[in-house]
Amino acid sequence: MRKISKFFTVAVLLFVATAAFAQRVYLNGTVTEKNGDPIAGVTIQEKGSASNFAMTDSKGNFIISVPQDGAIILSCLGYVSAEVAVDGQKSMVIALETETQKLADVIVVAYGAVRREANTGSVLSVKGAELAEAPATSVDKLLSGKMAGVSITANSGAPGSSSNIRIRGTSSINAGNEPLWVIDGIPVMTEDMRSGSYYGDGAAASTTNFLNPNDIESITVLKDAAAASVYGSRAANGVILVTTKSGKAGQAKFTARVKVGASQLANDNNIRPMTGGELIGYWRDAAVNGGYNPDDPTSAYYVPWSLLKDGTHNWYKDLTKVGLMQDYEINASGGTNRSSYYASASYHSNDGVYEGTGFQRVSVRLNADYNLTKTLKTGTRIAGVYSKTQTTSRTGSSLYDNPAFTMFRLFPWTPIKNADGSYTKPAENKGYNPMAYAKLNELFDNEYRLNGSMYLEWKPIKQLTLKSNNAIEFSYVNSREYYNPLAKPDGVAALQETRQSNIRLTTSNTITYNDIFGDHSVRVLAGQEAMKESYDGLAGSASGINPDIPYLSTATQAKDATGYSRSAYTLLSFFGIADYNYANRYFLQGSVRGDGSSLFGSNNKWGCFWSVSGSWNISNEKFMQPVTSWFNNLKLRVSYGVNGNNNITPYLAYGVYGAGEYAGTSTMVPTRPSNEDLSWEKNKTWNVGLDLGFFDDRLTATVDVYQRLTTDMLLSVRVPATTGFGSNFRNVGSLENKGVELALNGEIIRNGDWYWSVGANIAMNRSKVLDLGGSGFLETTDYRLGEGSDTPVRIAEGRSMYTFYIREYAGVNPTTGEGLFVKEDGTLTSDRSEAPFKYIGSPEPLATGGFNTVLSWKGLSLSAYFMYSYGNKVLVDNWYITDGEDTLASNSYAKALNYWKKPGDTGCNPKPIAGGSNVWYAGASSRFLQDGSYLRIKDITLSYDLPEKALNAMRIKGLKLYVSALNPYTFHHVDAFDPDFGELGYAYGGAYTLTKSFIGGIELTF
Amino acid sequence: MKNKFAYTAIIIASLSLSACKDFLTQEPPLSQSTELTLSTYEGLDKATAGAYSYLASDGWYGGDWVLSCEMRSGNGEKNLGHNSNRYVPELNWNYLSDATSAQWLYTYYTVAKCNNVIDNLAGKESASVSSQDLNNLKAECLFLRALSHFDCVRIYAQPYSYVKATGKSNLGIPYIYHTNPSAKPARETVKKVYENIVADLLEAESIIDPSYCRKNFTSPKASVTLPAIQGLLSRVYLYMEDWDNSAIYASKVIGNSAYSLYSKDRYKTAWKEDKGAEEVIFEAYIDLSNYSNLDVCYMTNPAGTYGDCLCSAELYALYEDGDVRKELYTEDKNAGHCSGHWTLKYSGKGLSDGVDANNTVIIRLSEMYLNRAEAGRRGAQGVDYLADLNAVAELRGASKYPSATIADIQKERRKELAWEGHYLYDLARWQKGVVRTADAFLMQKNANIPFPSYKWALPIPKSEREVNKNLEQNPEWK
Repeated sequence: MRKISKFFTVAVLLFVATAAFAQRVYLNGTVTEKNGDPIAGVTIQEKGSASNFAMTDSKGNFIISVPQDGAIILSCLGYVSAEVAVDGQKSMVIALETETQKLADVIVVAYGAVRREANTGSVLSVKGAELAEAPATSVDKLLSGKMAGVSITANSGAPGSSSNIRIRGTSSINAGNEPLWVIDGIPVMTEDMRSGSYYGDGAAASTTNFLNPNDIESITVLKDAAAASVYGSRAANGVILVTTKSGKAGQAKFTARVKVGASQLANDNNIRPMTGGELIGYWRDAAVNGGYNPDDPTSAYYVPWSLLKDGTHNWYKDLTKVGLMQDYEINASGGTNRSSYYASASYHSNDGVYEGTGFQRVSVRLNADYNLTKTLKTGTRIAGVYSKTQTTSRTGSSLYDNPAFTMFRLFPWTPIKNADGSYTKPAENKGYNPMAYAKLNELFDNEYRLNGSMYLEWKPIKQLTLKSNNAIEFSYVNSREYYNPLAKPDGVAALQETRQSNIRLTTSNTITYNDIFGDHSVRVLAGQEAMKESYDGLAGSASGINPDIPYLSTATQAKDATGYSRSAYTLLSFFGIADYNYANRYFLQGSVRGDGSSLFGSNNKWGCFWSVSGSWNISNEKFMQPVTSWFNNLKLRVSYGVNGNNNITPYLAYGVYGAGEYAGTSTMVPTRPSNEDLSWEKNKTWNVGLDLGFFDDRLTATVDVYQRLTTDMLLSVRVPATTGFGSNFRNVGSLENKGVELALNGEIIRNGDWYWSVGANIAMNRSKVLDLGGSGFLETTDYRLGEGSDTPVRIAEGRSMYTFYIREYAGVNPTTGEGLFVKEDGTLTSDRSEAPFKYIGSPEPLATGGFNTVLSWKGLSLSAYFMYSYGNKVLVDNWYITDGEDTLASNSYAKALNYWKKPGDTGCNPKPIAGGSNVWYAGASSRFLQDGSYLRIKDITLSYDLPEKALNAMRIKGLKLYVSALNPYTFHHVDAFDPDFGELGYAYGGAYTLTKSFIGGIELTF
Repeated sequence: MKNKFAYTAIIIASLSLSACKDFLTQEPPLSQSTELTLSTYEGLDKATAGAYSYLASDGWYGGDWVLSCEMRSGNGEKNLGHNSNRYVPELNWNYLSDATSAQWLYTYYTVAKCNNVIDNLAGKESASVSSQDLNNLKAECLFLRALSHFDCVRIYAQPYSYVKATGKSNLGIPYIYHTNPSAKPARETVKKVYENIVADLLEAESIIDPSYCRKNFTSPKASVTLPAIQGLLSRVYLYMEDWDNSAIYASKVIGNSAYSLYSKDRYKTAWKEDKGAEEVIFEAYIDLSNYSNLDVCYMTNPAGTYGDCLCSAELYALYEDGDVRKELYTEDKNAGHCSGHWTLKYSGKGLSDGVDANNTVIIRLSEMYLNRAEAGRRGAQGVDYLADLNAVAELRGASKYPSATIADIQKERRKELAWEGHYLYDLARWQKGVVRTADAFLMQKNANIPFPSYKWALPIPKSEREVNKNLEQNPEWK
């Protein structure tokens, strides 16, 4: 306590001391936007003084006492900071540039905001304005391609689906690779609880469906240890900071938005099933190749042309559709000098491109801030969201009810409905009719979500800020899976109802001390956080229920089953950050964070994470003066830090007995060994970066080089059976990611009415598995394509994170038309089983990135974003499941028609052989390994802002019209709808792949 | 004012620090910690019941123990009509260190369950729990521990009789008395392992309540009892060629009026019973809760989709007409396209929904007669071995033996205990090779397995040796 009072005394003395300056004037000023609108809440700081601040009122006015020959620094979140020399003036009007015109110099970082030049770590930010126009449902989808080193893969093209986000590669095998999402200072739950994704399995994807993209003010991605380490505990995979909009003092502003559009399946390589005629021709050749007469009714492979006599149809066309998208939103913002608010309500609806799929969301938000007294401020961030996700099957897998899979299996002559109007039950698809499934079944998830937080901020003196931020998040998912007996092959109705709730309570309390002594500027922050998350899930299922009353109430006791799950985990953290800046030239930051997690063993609950970083703003050095006219920014950044990862299932550290049964008696059997030493997975990251700016930042470049070393990986490792268990969860092994990222931005034309900018980014990440704790290799969880115990994708020591482990295919034998595989000794064989499995190729791209351009003239603006991936391999496995080269039991891909027909044919598929014993399509081989490089036009937007004259005439503040295309075209060579197969480089069965959308919108502000 | 502030701060700080520990302790609500389970008699009792569960696994008595034994020994064969590609490697003794028996796992998982109980019994007496109650649990666990090690050493090591005859110190398996998560135990000699098995069984015999039978087990024969301990002792001593003791312990069981040999009629039906028929001394209990479609029941049933394991012509030919044991084989009545005989010892209890299962008999009374006959013939004191041999043979409807050679006793044992997981290990302890005729499934090179051969001790699993460098591999295995 004595120390604290000393601290205060010193602070007060400093405050008084700094006020003692010479020759001062009172400066009256007004701060406006470029169009003249006043800006409230701008901080005006005397240059070189820590204590002399003023703030603009609702009319943008301020008054400050400053030295005559001094300067003021203006800063406001969302605007470009400016430094203005006083030069003896007593009044001035200063126009600030908004961030939409230029990236702001202020970026949101962990527990605060810093000026861009003070930033020492590797940080990327995107402004809300860049996100708002693109016609996507959720934030994650908008970020892809826009940031170097941030890779975002949609798990599916289904509306409302979740994404996998990788910042600088995949750093963990078991403990999750999703970044931490922090919204308005609160780390939020992003687990996807909808059907088919289970809580806490470490592999769950992020869902940010609950966030209306239009509510976002800015997004910052913290990539390296220095930037992220304050969230040390869970920052190993980077941190995504989202700031939602808040009101600004001034007149109330209303914005209404309407967006309408349509989407369809992206299929730029024209992948399709065979037509009836093509299939019959293919089969007849297969029958002849197999020694059968296709015209002989007694033949095992009787394939008469008469199969086509009743007509055919295209299942692809029938099962897919154009999906309508609508988005309506209204928001209001404004405030006085004591309070401000931002409120919004939106409705979003997006039909899927497959029959029976769709997504709807209603969201409301209120962000309010209130100055209670001069020193005390409070505010709330409250959002409520309801969303409904409809599916038609377990899309993305090879199930017979999945339209994306079965459209390639069903015979073109199998009708959708019988003559009597009932749905057919096609034998070639085990009786499943995907259209009947889409039309008659009910598969949906209703998610209800509430995020609310309240903060209290006390600034007893200028330099000191105490802030407490407390939040509750509640998510309730109500899922229904009802299978109509008219659709189900066995004609028995089945139902599963699931109720899950997840609740998270967070408290985050910080104390910040900010001061400037002459050329020295210091910030010290200390904080504490605690979090508890509890999950509760209950499922009831039954078969044979009454289809007229399709609820669990009609289930019989014998066919009724329930499942129950619950878990909870907690996190407690203490942390501190210290920043030091000398003369805007040298910046140093250090942070340390201690995290205790209930997920770990009693011996090792606590982890200590830290970082140090520094930057040197070379351009502010005297010796750079001669060149600053054209070389205005040169900054070197270096950082090192250790972050943690605790993204594992709860209770793995506990040795437990679970219930069992033997001889009619309930028993207890050991289910998991105890591991009191289980602890944090660690991520050690180096980052060296260089920021360059030329010609007043008209040309900027950022280069980052990094190395991430993951150690103490949370892996299930084999242990001797003599311990009573075959495996245990341990901290073993290591893997490395290293890479280079480069971002270039140029404003080629910036004069008068014309503006043209071009930007590009590239990231090259190389991963290497260094040590797997003695396992040599691990199999990825998806083993379905593998034969026996082998999986097509492995995690192997000494190789990149994922490697294909498959048989090597050597093309077609030009003489016989047989498929050839490479044997152990290098010779070729037509017997696939003689070829050994080998490590062939990696799904890791050599480079990924994007580029963009914006061209505008007066209010007219055309922007385009592109993204690309280069040098990765993908395994296109869909032939394996549909290609009836030998059985003639299903339709196939039209690509299969390019097969060997006569001696000398090469570069084609092997000939189909009915009843053949060598199935060259089966299993995983390099036959299906393709170059996964692609270039995607991510979005193109043409917008028009009405000129001020017209606006004034209409008495409105803004009117914007735009048309936009999302994913309009992708250039690639992959024999699949879309080339993006995610980090594993392969997707089994028919995935619900990417869609392309075209959209038009109006945005009215008044 | 300042002081108040300071006090408040101190109180809050100390409260939050002491709360830290609790706050960060989140225990699994849907399972019970190992410590808690093993801290009460009720928990120990349930943990003991849980120690039985692997016996029923398709990797042990539920399937692989029985079937591997029969397929390797020449009692079983395969045919084209019923081939799901299972039990081909076993038939051909096609083992590699990364494709070997999984008995290792079942043994040590079970041993750990037993040790958990044994090591936590001390001091659990209370007003309602007597020391005899605790001793009964201990006896059950000692028995299961001994049986687990016994089965394991029979698979991965050369037979005791061979070690004894040659005076070598062949390696057996680690004998785990206390399960230690960080231990990397080495293999003990075969001799030492057998001594430990006997010691565990003798202790179990000495402490168990003679009338003890686990309450609540659907089948009382699934429970460890005094006769089960004695029956296993008789078998272990037989393997150790301790003829006197083998005969003594066989006599203890034979003299127990609770058990009687099946009549000719009962022999046909007793196998289907849920609760262990009159001959059964100890069995693995299998029902809908723990059946598997790789169970013996599926693998020996020609009516289903599997039926991979059928009786070899050689074994079938040993049965005389009129021997009820010959009637305990069935033919494939459906297809007609394949001939062969399948044992009916596992024809199913008749459980619901097209799913079926059988208990697997582990120890039964006729083995005791045959143990005593063999021990007597080999020199055990005071045994009328011809009477013992004929007690079995005559009851089954086979010709009465006028005299009993060792070969006679061996043949009768094979006929009686076929499809119960004995013959292969009997061959090993008799130091006799396997002689078979090659066919479509049985490769020429492995049709005959001579004795001695390194092949009689299967390779230690590679995966186990990778994590325990102290384990020596059996010679000649890759």
